[in-house]
Amino acid sequence: MKFKKWFRTLIFYEILIGMKETLKHLLKYRPITLEYPHVKKTLPPNYRGMLALLKYDDETEKCVGCDLCEAACPSRVIRVVSAEVPDEPTKRYAKEYYMDMTRCLFCGLCVQACPVDALGMTQEFEWAVYNKRSLQLNKQQLLAIGDRAFPVKEKRLEFQHPNVAYFNVSFKDIPKKEF
Amino acid sequence: MNEVVMRLGLTLSQIGAVMLVVLLTVALLTLLERKVLSWMQDRMGPMEVGPYGILQPVADGLKLFFKEDIVPAGANKFMFSMAPLLVLVPALIGFAVIPFGPTWTVDLNGIEFKPFVISDINIGVLYILAFASIGAYGIILGGWSSNSKYSLLGGLRSAAQLISYELNVGLSIVGVLLLSGSLSLVKITEAQNGGFWNWYAFAPPFPQFIAFVVFLIAAVAETNRVPFDLPEAESELVAGFFTEYSGMRFAFFFLAEYANMILVSCMATVLFFGGWDAPLPFLQAPGDLVWITGMMWFAAKVYFFLFFFFWIRATLPRLRYDQLMRFGWKVLLPIALGNIVITSIFAYIFPGQG
Repeated sequence: MKFKKWFRTLIFYEILIGMKETLKHLLKYRPITLEYPHVKKTLPPNYRGMLALLKYDDETEKCVGCDLCEAACPSRVIRVVSAEVPDEPTKRYAKEYYMDMTRCLFCGLCVQACPVDALGMTQEFEWAVYNKRSLQLNKQQLLAIGDRAFPVKEKRLEFQHPNVAYFNVSFKDIPKKEF
Repeated sequence: MNEVVMRLGLTLSQIGAVMLVVLLTVALLTLLERKVLSWMQDRMGPMEVGPYGILQPVADGLKLFFKEDIVPAGANKFMFSMAPLLVLVPALIGFAVIPFGPTWTVDLNGIEFKPFVISDINIGVLYILAFASIGAYGIILGGWSSNSKYSLLGGLRSAAQLISYELNVGLSIVGVLLLSGSLSLVKITEAQNGGFWNWYAFAPPFPQFIAFVVFLIAAVAETNRVPFDLPEAESELVAGFFTEYSGMRFAFFFLAEYANMILVSCMATVLFFGGWDAPLPFLQAPGDLVWITGMMWFAAKVYFFLFFFFWIRATLPRLRYDQLMRFGWKVLLPIALGNIVITSIFAYIFPGQG
């Protein structure tokens, strides 16, 4: 046994084992590299990428200016300036909507918090910019991102669930609340 | 007068041809090393410049050529400029005595010259060893003159390492010199002609294979390569002795490292593996065509050793400094000395073989 150990030291046994391993990898060459700018990885469907504001299929904004996303955001990315819809005093919308994407940590809490699904997370991640200011997005930019990332838009529901729609007094025919 | 001009022209053209081949090989090696290394590590290596990245050496060369040449504040300017040359020149000058092909003497208008060796001097081995030692000066001066602690540490490590391992290179060659009875690399190659059983690594009376292993390990250490790359240990010393160098001066160091690798591979080929000799006699072309296959065999052997260097680099981690010194002085040196003793005994008992 001692002789075997001595002999192995003499012929650099461990080094030979290692060299066999590297040669094996050379002969069975299967690179795990993805040549990134040319080949892109397929992202999972629940990938949390760039945030976007969404629209209904009649090109009206989904956002009702409720500020819940602003409240939910842990790093204070979002700033909403809510206002009344001019002709319909009971409806509100986001007059201004700002996102400072330099601070965003892509947790998705705003998307979960939104009661009308007005926020969405896209698959975009190539948002490296030369100017930091260009990551402070306003409503138009966020809507544009939503337009290009979600081409299939949700249908506007005139009547949501009756129990919810009861509070929406702006509609002309007020549905009866079901008890 | 005419004869002098002819002789000068012939020698200069030989030097030019050898330098061209060596520098092209260096350019090829920079790509080949990155490729082989990445293939062994399941990566792709350079892929962007040209198809499969084959134009990467050109891009690297252009980049180094156009980079700013920085001389750090407080550096000794003269030494700082001299050090890269002091490394590069000894690395390239060793090729003067390497025989690349058959030992012919061509008579051209009354001027005799040997087409496959620039100068067949009778102390070729000593010449190479001497110039390899001068290369150490360039490294330590480059490390000292850049006024940086990393450079200085790298230079000092390099000096200690080169001195320790040059000894082993020299002693491992002695066995071959005992058997061949000559210091001329041309004569040593000639003595190994006629198949692989005549090569000194395998030849009777006493195969020099152990000496060859010692030579190879010491040669890896001499060229500052993994696992003995302490002078330029990236994770410890940024880049070692050429931390402060940029642009063409850096390129000279780089060039010298690869030229040294080629030189050491050539030496291993010539001393232990028969130079341009084919492993089996029938693999060598007959008659006047022998120089073609001869040079091909030489290149094949040299490239095998270069590949071996890459292979080792992909496999082994770096040694610690005390391990390096212990291995050099307490393991390799006794083995080399013992090899000399045994070889001398065998050479005395079987004098006809050598």
